[in-house]
Amino acid sequence: MNRKADIIRRALLLYVFTGVFALAILARVVYIQFFIGPELRKKTKELTLEYRNVEALRGNIFSSDGNFLAISVPVYELRMDTKANGLKEEKFNNQVDSLAWCLSNLFRDRTKADYKSILTDGRRQANRYLLLRKGVSFSQLQKALKFPLFRDGANGGGIIAVASTERVKPYKNLAARTIGKNDPTGKPFGIEGAFNEELTGKEGVRLMQKLTGGMWKPVDDNYAVEPENGADIYTTLDVTLQDVAHSELYRQLSTHNADHGCVVMMEVQTGEVKAIANLKRTSDGSYIENYNYAVGESVEPGSTFKLASMMALMEDGYVKLTDSVNTGNGQMRFYSQIMKDSHEGGYGWLTMKQVFEKSSNVGVSMKVWEHYKNDPEKFIKRIRQFHLHEPLGLQIPGEGDPRIKNPKDRDWSGTTLPWMSIGYESKLTPLQVLTFYNAVANNGKMVRPIFVKEIRRRGAVVKTFGPEVIEEKIASEKTIAQAREMMEGVVKNGTARNLNGLIYKIGGKTGTAQIAGAGGYKNEGKVTYRATFVGYFPADEPKYSCIVVVSAPSNSVYYGNLVAGPIFKAVADKVYAGALDIHKPYNRNLPLISDTNFPTVKKGFVKDAAFTLNKLNITNEVVGMQSGFSVAKHLNQKFVFEHPRFTTGLLPDVKGMGARDAIFILESLGMKVKVNGKGAVREQTPQAGNRIIKGQTVIIQLG
Amino acid sequence: MNALTKHLKGDKAIWFVAGALSIISLLSVYSTTGSLAFKYKGGNTEAYLVERLIFIVLGFVIMYLVHKIKYNYFSKIAKLLLVISIPLLLLTLFMGSRINDASRWLTIPGLPISFQTSDLAKLSLVTYVASFLATRQEDIKDFKKTFLPVIIPVALVCMLIFPANFSTAAMLFFICVLLMFVAGVRIKHLALMILTMVIVGTISILILANVPGSRVQTWKARLENFSKGEGGDNYQAEQAKMAIANGHFLGSGPANNPNKYFLPQSYSDFIFAMIIGEYGIFGGLVVMLLYLILLYRSFRIASSTNYGFAILLSIGLCLLLTVQAFINMAVSVNLFPVTGQPLPLVSMGGTGTLFTCLTLGMLLSVSRFASEKSVSPKTEEE
Repeated sequence: MNRKADIIRRALLLYVFTGVFALAILARVVYIQFFIGPELRKKTKELTLEYRNVEALRGNIFSSDGNFLAISVPVYELRMDTKANGLKEEKFNNQVDSLAWCLSNLFRDRTKADYKSILTDGRRQANRYLLLRKGVSFSQLQKALKFPLFRDGANGGGIIAVASTERVKPYKNLAARTIGKNDPTGKPFGIEGAFNEELTGKEGVRLMQKLTGGMWKPVDDNYAVEPENGADIYTTLDVTLQDVAHSELYRQLSTHNADHGCVVMMEVQTGEVKAIANLKRTSDGSYIENYNYAVGESVEPGSTFKLASMMALMEDGYVKLTDSVNTGNGQMRFYSQIMKDSHEGGYGWLTMKQVFEKSSNVGVSMKVWEHYKNDPEKFIKRIRQFHLHEPLGLQIPGEGDPRIKNPKDRDWSGTTLPWMSIGYESKLTPLQVLTFYNAVANNGKMVRPIFVKEIRRRGAVVKTFGPEVIEEKIASEKTIAQAREMMEGVVKNGTARNLNGLIYKIGGKTGTAQIAGAGGYKNEGKVTYRATFVGYFPADEPKYSCIVVVSAPSNSVYYGNLVAGPIFKAVADKVYAGALDIHKPYNRNLPLISDTNFPTVKKGFVKDAAFTLNKLNITNEVVGMQSGFSVAKHLNQKFVFEHPRFTTGLLPDVKGMGARDAIFILESLGMKVKVNGKGAVREQTPQAGNRIIKGQTVIIQLG
Repeated sequence: MNALTKHLKGDKAIWFVAGALSIISLLSVYSTTGSLAFKYKGGNTEAYLVERLIFIVLGFVIMYLVHKIKYNYFSKIAKLLLVISIPLLLLTLFMGSRINDASRWLTIPGLPISFQTSDLAKLSLVTYVASFLATRQEDIKDFKKTFLPVIIPVALVCMLIFPANFSTAAMLFFICVLLMFVAGVRIKHLALMILTMVIVGTISILILANVPGSRVQTWKARLENFSKGEGGDNYQAEQAKMAIANGHFLGSGPANNPNKYFLPQSYSDFIFAMIIGEYGIFGGLVVMLLYLILLYRSFRIASSTNYGFAILLSIGLCLLLTVQAFINMAVSVNLFPVTGQPLPLVSMGGTGTLFTCLTLGMLLSVSRFASEKSVSPKTEEE
C-alpha cells in the first residue's frame, strides 16, 4: 500500500503527542506531591474518622385501638458556636439583642437580659459549643431555626442542634408499669423490657468525620449500613378502659386512703388484658404507678380462694349446692385456733350455695376439713388441677410465684388445711386469681393473660399472639355450672348485693382478707385489710373478667364489696356502654310513640318543635303563627301551636320552656339570667307578670 | 507456558498488558470498594473482588474467542452493528435506565444485563471509519468521495450519544478526528468539521439548557466548579489530590490510603488517584507505561502490515483505549474537569470491561492475521 509511509508518519506524531500528554500528567502528579503535598497531607491528618454506630429508631408501643402508649420523640440540645466562621463581630452585635429576645420568648425560662449576657459572655470566651437550652422539642427547634443569626445556619449563625431521642408515654401514668421502661440505668421491666429486642431494631454503622465542637458529620452515603428500625408493639390495652380503671382506682384509693391497689380487666375468651392499673400512695398522698402489683404481688388471696375450695369439693362429689350445713354460732375450733365468721353470732343453718354467697369461713373450712382431713393430698391435687400452684408464664417479666403448700412441706401444720381453704397460708398474685376466675367464666377453659397482641414491622404484622390455652377444661361441666351459679348468687343474695340490679348481670366473689404484716396479722396494733372483688360480666354470657384489689384501706370501710366493688362496677359500666355486641338487641318494631305514651312538648321555638314532631311522624298544626315562641297544646292526638300570651313591659312566663329558649327570651328583653339545675324551667324569680326592669337578674330553676 | 503461548496467538506484549492491567484492577478494586461493600454486601469486601474476577475471566474468554476471528470480518460486522446501534442509541435516550441522571444504559430484554449503548456504538463506529478510510485511500483528500460519506455517520452517532453523555461523545469525535488525520484526510476538512461540530454543539447546548432537568445543568455545574473550585466535583478532586499527596514515591501501601473513604467513585473515575495513593508515583508510572506500551505495540502492528484496514483498525482500536485512559488520568490528577470516563480494564464496571476486552481481542486478531503472510491481499480489498 503506497500511502503507508504517510500514515505511519502521522501515527508517530500522535505517539509523540501522547507522550507529551503523559509527561504533563506526571508533572502534575509531581507538583501535587511535592509542591502542594505538605498542605494536603496536613489536611488529611485533620480528617478524624471513625465508624460510629447509628442508633435505630425504637419501635412504638400502641394500644389495641391504635393510640400511642410509648413513643420515641426527638429532643435537641440547642447550642451555639459563638465563633462560627460567618459570624462577624458587627453581625453578632447587631443581632444579639433580637436573638436574646426570641430565645426568651420561645423558652420562657430566662429573661431577655439573661440570654443576652449568656450570648455575649459566650462570645467573649470564644465558646464554640455554648449551651443555650436542653430538652428542646422539634417544633421549638423549627422556630429557633428562623431566629436572627440562627437563620443563617451553622456557619453563618453558629446554631448547633444536638439531636437525641426521648422515650415518652403520652398517657403518662396509665398502665405505666405494664408498658414498662428500658432504661440503661435501671432494670428493664414491662413490655419495654420484655420486647426490648424487637423494639430496638438493628444499629447501623456510618463513617463519620469529626468536626470542631465535638460534632460528627457523615462522610459519604457509601460508607453506611442503614439502621433497621425497631418493630412496633401492639398491646391488648384499651386506652378508654384503662383510663376508667385508672381514675376509678385512684378515686377509691384516695377515698379510703388505701396504701395501694390494682385493677385488671381481661377478655374472657382470648385472655387479652384490656386494662391494668396499679397505684401506690406516695408520701404526699397522691398515687402513682410504681410497681406492677397485679403481676408481681403474691399475697394471701383470702375469700376469693373459696371458689377453688368449693370447686374441689364439688369435683370430688362431696357437696351439692343444696346441701345444708350448720355453721352454728360462727365459730369453730381447729386444734388451738378458732375459725370465725365475720357475721357476729353466726349464720346457723345454710345451704352450700349460701355458704359461698355469704362467704362463711366456718362453712367452707368445715366441709373441707370433713372431707380432706385424712387425705389433704387429694385437696392439693384439685388445686393443682386448677393450675393455681404454678406461675402463668406472662409476656412481661416480674411475675410473683404462687405458693400452695403441700402436706409434705415442713411448714404444713394441722390448721393449714382449714385456713388454706379460706385463702390463707397460700400466696397468689391478683392476675393468677383472675385467670382462674376467667377460666370458670370461659366454661372451664383456662387461657393465659396476654398484654401484647401483635408485632408489626413497617405496618406489616410479623408476629401475632393468639389465645394461649393453659388447660382446655379445668373442671367438669357440672362443677363449672354450679360455680357460676354461686357467683351470680354472691351478687344477687350475698356479699356483693351492691352490684345487683344493673341492666347486665355480674358474677363474682368478694374477699376481705387480713394482711399479715411483719408482726403477724396485726400491723402496729391495728388490723389491716385487703379488699378484693373478682368476677365477670355479663354473667349469662361472660365477655370480660375483672379483679380489683385494694390494700390497706386505712379508713373504717374495708369490705371487698364496698371498697373494690364500685371500681369493678365503674369499669364494667364503661365496657358495657361501649360494647354493643354484648347488649340485648333493642326491639325496633315497637312504635316510638303510642297513644298512652304521648310526648310532652315544652314551650319554645315553634320551628324547632314542629321539626322534631315531623321527624317522629306526629301530626301537628301551627295556628295563627309562622315563627317565634309558642305554647304547644295536645288536642285529639295532635299538637297545636299557639302564641304564648306575652304582654309588653311585663315579664313573660317561661315556665315549661327549655333553658335555651328561656334564656333567649329573657335576655332579648334585656334581663340577666342565672340558671340552676337541669331540664325544663320549673320556677322563675321574679314571677311572670312583674314589670320588666332592664338589667335585673332573673333566676330560673330547672328541674 | 508453552501450552499457553501455543493458544494465545497475536502480539504477546498486548496479552501481557491486558494481564498486568487486570491484576492492578483486582488489587485496587479490592482496596477501594470498601464503601460499596458496606452499603450493598453487608461489609463483605470479597464480594466485589469475586465479581471483578468473574468479569475479568469472562473478558479474557471474549478476548480469546475474538482473537481467533480473522479481522477482515470485523468490517462487515461493524457496518451491521453501526446500523443497529443508531436505533439502539435512540431507544436508550428515551427509555434507558437512569444511572446518575443520565440515560446511558440499555437493559437487554429478558436478561439481567444492561450495557451502555455508547460502548457498542464507539467500537462499531471506529471499526467502520477505519474500514471505510482504508478503501478510500486513493481519493483520501476528496471532499465528496471520502470526507462526506465518513463524516455523516460520525456526526450522527456522536450527536446521538451527546445528550446523555457529553464526554463520551466528545471523546469519540476526537478519536475519529485523530483516525481521519492519521488516514490522511485533509487538515482543512478536519478543521472545517471541528468548527461545524463546535457550532452545532453550542447550539444544542443552548437548546438543551432550556429543557428542565437535562444534563446540561450538570455539565455547566462541572465546568463552573472546575474553574471556581467549588461543589461536589471539587470535593472529589480535592480528595483525589489528597490521595495522590499521600502516595509519595512508593505509595502508602495497599488499602492504606485514608482518602478512599472520602473519595466517591474511587473505584471508577478516580481509580488512578487511588493507585498513586497506594502504590506511589511508581505505581502511576507503571499504569501509564502499560497504556503507552499498548499504543506502541499497535503502531508496530500497523507498520508491520501492508493492508490499509489492518493499519487503520489497529490505530483506531488502540486510540479508543488509550485516549480514554489518558483522559481518566488527567481527571484524576485534576488536569481536566470531572468527566466520568473509567480507566479501561482497571476501573470497576461489568460490561464496560467486556467491551474493553472485545477491543483488545480485535487488536490481537489484527496483529495475528495481518502479519501472517497467509492472508490473501484480495480479502483485504473487499
